[in-house]
Amino acid sequence: MRRRTVLTGLAAASSVPLVAACSGGGEPVDTGEGQGGGAAGGGAGALVVAISAQPDQLDPHRTTAYASFQVLENVYDTLVVPAADDLTMEPSLAESWETSEDQLTWTFTLREGVTFHSGKELTAEDVVFSYRRIIDQELANSYRFATVADVAAPDERTVVVTLSSPTPNLLSQVGGFKGMAVLPSGVDESTLTTQADGTGPFRLDGFSASEVTLSAFDGYWGEAPTVTGVTYQFITEPAAALTALQSDQVQWTDNVPPQQVASLADDDTVELGNVPSVDYWYLAMNCRTAPFDDPAVRRAVATAIDRAAITEAAKFDAAAPNQTAIPEDSFWYLDYAPYEADVDAARALLEGAGVSGPVTMGLMVTSEYPETVTAAQVIANQLEPLGITVEIQTEDFATWLDRQSQGDFDAFMLGWLGNIDPFDFYDSQHRTDASNNYHGYSNPVTDDLLERAATESDQDARKDLYDQAARQIVDDASYVYLYNPNTVQAWKPGITGYEARADKAVNFETVQLPS
Amino acid sequence: MTGIALRRVLQAVVVLLGVSVVVFALVHLVPGDPVRLALGTRFDQATYEALRERAGLDQPLLVQYAQWVSSAVTGDLGVSFRSGEPVTLLILERLPATLSLAFASILVALLIAVPLGTASALRPRSLVDGVSTVFSQIGISVPEFWMGIMLILVFAGALGWFPPAGYVAFGDDPLGWARSLVLPAVTTGLVSGSVLTRFTRSSVLEALGAEHVRTARAKGLPARAVFRWHVLRNALLPLVTVTGVQMAYLLSGVVVVEIVFAWPGLGQLALQSVQARDYPVLQGAVLLFALVFLVVNLVVDLLYTKLDPRISA
Repeated sequence: MRRRTVLTGLAAASSVPLVAACSGGGEPVDTGEGQGGGAAGGGAGALVVAISAQPDQLDPHRTTAYASFQVLENVYDTLVVPAADDLTMEPSLAESWETSEDQLTWTFTLREGVTFHSGKELTAEDVVFSYRRIIDQELANSYRFATVADVAAPDERTVVVTLSSPTPNLLSQVGGFKGMAVLPSGVDESTLTTQADGTGPFRLDGFSASEVTLSAFDGYWGEAPTVTGVTYQFITEPAAALTALQSDQVQWTDNVPPQQVASLADDDTVELGNVPSVDYWYLAMNCRTAPFDDPAVRRAVATAIDRAAITEAAKFDAAAPNQTAIPEDSFWYLDYAPYEADVDAARALLEGAGVSGPVTMGLMVTSEYPETVTAAQVIANQLEPLGITVEIQTEDFATWLDRQSQGDFDAFMLGWLGNIDPFDFYDSQHRTDASNNYHGYSNPVTDDLLERAATESDQDARKDLYDQAARQIVDDASYVYLYNPNTVQAWKPGITGYEARADKAVNFETVQLPS
Repeated sequence: MTGIALRRVLQAVVVLLGVSVVVFALVHLVPGDPVRLALGTRFDQATYEALRERAGLDQPLLVQYAQWVSSAVTGDLGVSFRSGEPVTLLILERLPATLSLAFASILVALLIAVPLGTASALRPRSLVDGVSTVFSQIGISVPEFWMGIMLILVFAGALGWFPPAGYVAFGDDPLGWARSLVLPAVTTGLVSGSVLTRFTRSSVLEALGAEHVRTARAKGLPARAVFRWHVLRNALLPLVTVTGVQMAYLLSGVVVVEIVFAWPGLGQLALQSVQARDYPVLQGAVLLFALVFLVVNLVVDLLYTKLDPRISA
């Protein structure tokens, strides 16, 4: 006895291998004014939150799932950590650091009096152990240590990192997120998937198929948390998560139905955090396949599309259209928007490139991120007057990734998430043959700029190089940048000390419940 | 009876072996690379190779299959690529939630289907029959996710009677367990109930028209006794079969409802493992589902012999 098939949109978000917050299903639902009648959440000691997926595992060096990092953010620490306001790196386990004249040796001094949840004291050995584990076992984040030649602990509080070439973004590489967490040396690695021994404000008490529970760690080196603990529930369906918030079952969630963001802003039963994030979403055309190997054709596509309409359809009000990768709030932002939605200009470009007759573009998107499916429909409409027929190919993420890595596409749409340094935004995507340059873009001018920028230690000179590179990338339409989405999170009114962040790090250290 | 049981168990072993081959082949033939998924999009080639090797994916398929089957017979279903946890543990962890939901749903379904189906069969084309037909039409055609969301919005959101999502273990809080079970069980129960209502109606109707029932009536047996001894018992047979199929379906996880209600059951686990191409978990789960179907069918067959002595031969 078979029933109807599963709605793919609903299924999204339950496994999110990219670091992604993810909007859930695509069904518009109108809740009206939900009035909570359940148990009151105020005054109680522990915070209950709803996240959209179950963490796959809790080994910070092995997982790549955003759901895991929503938990790990509160359990582990890194040497440095991005500041909440501008994401510049500030002290965490390292209280200070120095760089040698030749930029090849970084010396970190560790904070005193830091203990792990197990009671063990933090020493430089733990940092060496953690970094060596990532490098030697070639774990998911080992690419972040590509320029690291050696990590040493000359004494208990000093860590020396030796580099093979200057790496001005080393701090964001080791502190950008908890995937670079410091573990206690000698920990039984087989226990790390379900247990944790960190130095963070909360210790891990339990991890099951229905929830994760944390409790405040009284030996924490920073200011002790005010809540007694945090319980994470996994609610994939956004309408259910929002109802759970409105009916007091949970006090915080990041699984807000995207179409309700605008109306929730005026809803006083819910406090809404809606801030620009450091993620970006883009369209890439295959630079190895005619006619998209011609920059003029790619420029025609970049000119024909209307980013505002795409953004509106994909993210409602919760995103900002952008023609470069880096969002406006960042120090690294470049105000450069050469394309104006104009079909006639686009047609002229196409004719100039000698393209006559109909063009078909297979646009590969994934049900894992429903916004790509929505955006593709708008893009298809916008390219139609240009004589480009867009064939939307919706794949599940596994197949999508396979096809991407094999270069088996005309074009695809996806996002890069959790970027901090301009290196994260541009380098591996646009350098010739770099690891994430799946679309085969190659321009020696861009390569030269990116290579120089990667090792330039003067910040202003570095920004100038990245600006030039970004201009070149936009002009060549290597990526057609679309928008920067917002971080959208919601919590109960009366909760204080919480801040929605651009990097989507979820930090409950300073949260206070209403009394 | 023992003869039947023994024969069926032997058959089951053969079927399971066949299923294991099919599952293994299918799982590995589906496009998608678990290692690439586990790593996300940012990684380098050395990391990729190392992880492939660690997962044993660099071995020939036949070797992988032999290893899997030889440890599966000892009860070891391998280790999840995604979480690094033993597959048996992951399945056992989710069994209570799945069992709770399946039994509660079947209970809801039977409570609806048996009275409603019988009543409408006893009075065809009456008001009751009309209501029952409309109900089963709606139940079959309304998508479960929509029904689930509507129930959440009304009974958890507006009225606040039940929690909107999540599972509470019976051992932690029996009352909370029952409360968390109501909305998902009603959602799946309504759908299963609609199917069963139709079957109940048609099989009772069929039984009512049988020759022996006419004879029983003709010899002056009271209507109640005719129904009790001659109609119901015969009508139950097809109902048991269909209920068995529904039960097996519910036990192998109701993916949509589990997602909507954040219910940590086997359906969710299977879906996650499909999405992550987590071969060991997927293989383990499908093998378990096959086993469930075999066991449920066996139970149905054995029940048949109880209900209808003619079959036991």
